[in-house]
Amino acid sequence: MTDPSRGEDGAQPSSRPRPDGGATVSGDGADAPGRPAGYGSVPDRRPGALSRVTARLGRTAITGLIAATVVFLIAPVVITVAASFAREWTGLFPSGGFTLENWKQALGLAQTLGAQRGLGSVSLSLLGLSVTIPFATLVFSMALALGGVAINLVVGVPIAYAVTRYDFYGQGWLNTVAVLPVVPGIILGIAFLRTYSHLPSAVALVIGYSLLKAPYMVLAVQSSFESMDLRQIEESARSLGASWPRTFLTVILPNAKRGIVSGAIVCWTLAAAEFNFSYIVYSRGPKPFSLFLFENISNNPFLRVAAAVSIYFCIVVAVTALLQATGQRGFSIGGAR
Amino acid sequence: MSTLDGPSLRERLRAGTAAVLVPETERDRARRRIAVLAVPFLALATFGAFVPVAVMVRMSLSTSNFRIEGVALDAYRELFASILAFVPVLGSGIEVNAVYGSVIWNSLWFGVLTTVASVVVGIAIAHGLEKYDLPAEGLLVTLISFPISLPGIVAAFMMIVWFGKTGVLTNFLAFLSGADPGALQLTGQPSGTLLAVLGLFFGYLYSMIPRATFLLRGTYAEVNTDAEEAARSLGATPWQTFRYVTLPQIRPGIVGALILTFRTALAIFGTVLVLKALSVVTFRFDQEIKVGFDLAMASALATVFFAFTVAFTFLGLRYTSAEVTG
Repeated sequence: MTDPSRGEDGAQPSSRPRPDGGATVSGDGADAPGRPAGYGSVPDRRPGALSRVTARLGRTAITGLIAATVVFLIAPVVITVAASFAREWTGLFPSGGFTLENWKQALGLAQTLGAQRGLGSVSLSLLGLSVTIPFATLVFSMALALGGVAINLVVGVPIAYAVTRYDFYGQGWLNTVAVLPVVPGIILGIAFLRTYSHLPSAVALVIGYSLLKAPYMVLAVQSSFESMDLRQIEESARSLGASWPRTFLTVILPNAKRGIVSGAIVCWTLAAAEFNFSYIVYSRGPKPFSLFLFENISNNPFLRVAAAVSIYFCIVVAVTALLQATGQRGFSIGGAR
Repeated sequence: MSTLDGPSLRERLRAGTAAVLVPETERDRARRRIAVLAVPFLALATFGAFVPVAVMVRMSLSTSNFRIEGVALDAYRELFASILAFVPVLGSGIEVNAVYGSVIWNSLWFGVLTTVASVVVGIAIAHGLEKYDLPAEGLLVTLISFPISLPGIVAAFMMIVWFGKTGVLTNFLAFLSGADPGALQLTGQPSGTLLAVLGLFFGYLYSMIPRATFLLRGTYAEVNTDAEEAARSLGATPWQTFRYVTLPQIRPGIVGALILTFRTALAIFGTVLVLKALSVVTFRFDQEIKVGFDLAMASALATVFFAFTVAFTFLGLRYTSAEVTG
């Protein structure tokens, strides 16, 4: 590694007597060879070359890294949305002007060549009436994810309360299992193939979504519970004559509303986007949205894929705005995956 | 089970069940509440995870590729022979296709590489977000968390936007150097080549950096800033402060982040499926299931994969100094 500050250091000897009379170590204090690293060692008083570089450039470097990371993560999102409205994109910039054609094709409003790749509408004939449901894939996927969230609410909120409020044997393990997604999506998919092969894909998907996304619900609700004095709230309500179920349903839950709502939003979005599990498990019936995205990405021209992916971005942006309203900063809760 | 403590255990179980069903003391009532609160989760865990995984393990022992019948270790024998055949010296004499050894090796080294890279970047970002007065910090946090909501296939498409043949960076570099974009693109290259693996590396980082960052942000929030300020005022440089004051405090958090980020890396599937840059274990599942239907083999591989993830996660979190504060 080149060291810009080495020049000033050149005149000084690399080995100096230490003020405390201890053993002299050549080189940088922080990275001295032969010294046990870790808690016990006393750092050299004189800052080494690394220290001087980081003192001068450290903040700039880290700020630059943050800026670069944000650009790396977000710029392609912006470019994708821009590209979805472009007629042509060769070279550095879009060309050919503004068009809605990509969006129409992705949404299934315009005819495309080949197999249906849009969010096709489905026509149902009920009692002689022909009903057309637009964006069937999208609606179906949203409903599946909603089913997963419903199960998550019933499952995640009580377990979060149990591990936060009570001390009991096995609490630590139960907490770990509830918060860590123990089975990865693709493994669960393979496990479901044999076990639930007789169930319709939709049912298997809902069960899987609720299991895979439960940790996010537990985490969100738990953070709400942890900010409350649960024991005191519970005892106040009980001493005023409320039964325990009544206390839980009408006192505890409304107080944790914020965590429950943000947990539900995060679970819903992540379930709607779950690909690894859906890809393995899906066999028949209407397609989940993530599979529609995958077919687009692997088969379609760049600009139409851009439009299809942008549909998903729109959903995420709307959801993020909702999350901000509940006090969550984006999907930061999803860190502990 | 005719041991001496058998009856007493049964007795205790019966007493415990009776206490939960018909509680008499307040302590019993609390137990009943815990049981009621935990039952829905345990039911979901049983039918959503335990039963399917048990069936999967049973399937991996089946003699048929399609249904459960008989007990045979064929799949495991093939799997471990293949792993052994991949080992350089030991496996030289074994005439077995080393494909499983090679996919496992690819998963491991690529997972370690991307985990270390994303945790290092995550430490720097979490440090900056926590210590510096950055403008629009809330917005930065929201933007960095955005990719957590994106499935792997979309992360792969983001890489195509950056590095594909029509990609922005590819064309920018081609414009600067005058080279053909086809020679610079990182996606769409033959599997296993350096450029393709580099593209996949960035694709992994796209998913993993935000997760690592938010795991470490929780750790950083608990750092004792008084000690850091004391170190600084006693004349320590920023690097010395980080090395001797901050790092010892966040070390358990870093170990936890490494474990969980490595789990994420191993389980990434969509990104590999789209970019097809390196044959890792998850990509092999696609070959086993969708290309040729060999459920017994896929189940065996999945069982080994699952046992490995569970073992290193729980052993790691329990027997190292790891701490997880999400």
